[in-house]
Amino acid sequence: MSEEEDRIKAGEYVLGTLPLDEREDFARRMARDARLERAVGDWQNALEHLNDEFAPAKAPSLMPQIEARLFPRPAGRLKRFGGWLGGIAVAGAVSMALLLVVPQNPPPAEVVATLGGAESALQFEARHDGQRLQLVQVAGTAAPEGQTYEFWAIAPGAAPVSLGLIGTAGLDVEYPRPPAGWVLAVSLEPAGGSPTGAPTGPVVAAAELPAVDGG
Amino acid sequence: MTDDPIADLLTRIAAQDRAAFRTLYRDTAPKLMGVLLRMLKRRSEAEDVMQEVYTRIWLKAGRFDRTRGRGMTWVIAVARNLAIDRLRARPATEASDGEEVDLVADTRPRAEARLVAQGDARVIAECFGKLEPARAHALRGAYLDGLSYADLASHHDVPLNTMRTWLRRGLQALRACITGEATA
Repeated sequence: MSEEEDRIKAGEYVLGTLPLDEREDFARRMARDARLERAVGDWQNALEHLNDEFAPAKAPSLMPQIEARLFPRPAGRLKRFGGWLGGIAVAGAVSMALLLVVPQNPPPAEVVATLGGAESALQFEARHDGQRLQLVQVAGTAAPEGQTYEFWAIAPGAAPVSLGLIGTAGLDVEYPRPPAGWVLAVSLEPAGGSPTGAPTGPVVAAAELPAVDGG
Repeated sequence: MTDDPIADLLTRIAAQDRAAFRTLYRDTAPKLMGVLLRMLKRRSEAEDVMQEVYTRIWLKAGRFDRTRGRGMTWVIAVARNLAIDRLRARPATEASDGEEVDLVADTRPRAEARLVAQGDARVIAECFGKLEPARAHALRGAYLDGLSYADLASHHDVPLNTMRTWLRRGLQALRACITGEATA
């Protein structure tokens, strides 16, 4: 098929006017042909101003169903949870001790915790800017192939809540400033994050939020 | 942060960041619901497809390329594509009927403020303005309401093949104008 014909067909594909058999045929070709994919992208950009005419509508809260589809929770995994929390308590105590070492220059006000002590291979810094909680890795290697670091907030006596996966650029999430006594932790999870919604892998860094002492 | 917050979220989703995924839903669901309701006309089907749309966004975010377009354009394309797949798979007789949709307008300000480079947006708008009004009308009907060639042919009362030839010429003229080629 000529390039010109392909370009026009890409336009028809984006418009959506192709009959079903031609549409499916085009989609199959596009999956193997980056040139067709680019032509489709060009048409999407050329027609994007029409998107302004789609009036937003009230959307139901479908996130629970969507997450249940994408991240199924196998039954019976919660048992691992108790042991994990025990681990966190120890890790938290260790990090707490390390946090008591007062740095010579006080850290910027927004640093709320350092996860993993100064001697840990892995270290993360948590900051809060009044609205958002940010976590960046400051020492150590990336998660191994097929695995990822996941960030958790744990209120005293409560179950860990996932705040998301930590990419190479860190994690930046809208979240209130965690008060003293909370634990922030990073666990190693399979790619895609904990399949259960609770931590399943080892804790690689953690810290309990210290009381603010004004110093 | 850049001037395309949806692209930023897609980049984080590609790194499997679930918090970013929830934020994306919060920030884009009203727009995508509007797209699906307008195209599919049936709320129950729109809600069904909505779940497929976000499932696909999670799985395909790694294919989004911010050097080639805006994040909002990409997520709307995912939604339109799935809606069109549904529409084309419907038997021809029910193509344009369907229950009445109660379109609950969302009155929040439109989040997808235009961020395209001013030059591009102006050129495209000018080129669209140069199309014959009837051709522009047909293009919009296809793009916004998911009309097929058969639907368009019956609306304009011309044979299907005539409609197709005519709309393809419209696409050619639009493309020639945008890329600055002489119009045939």
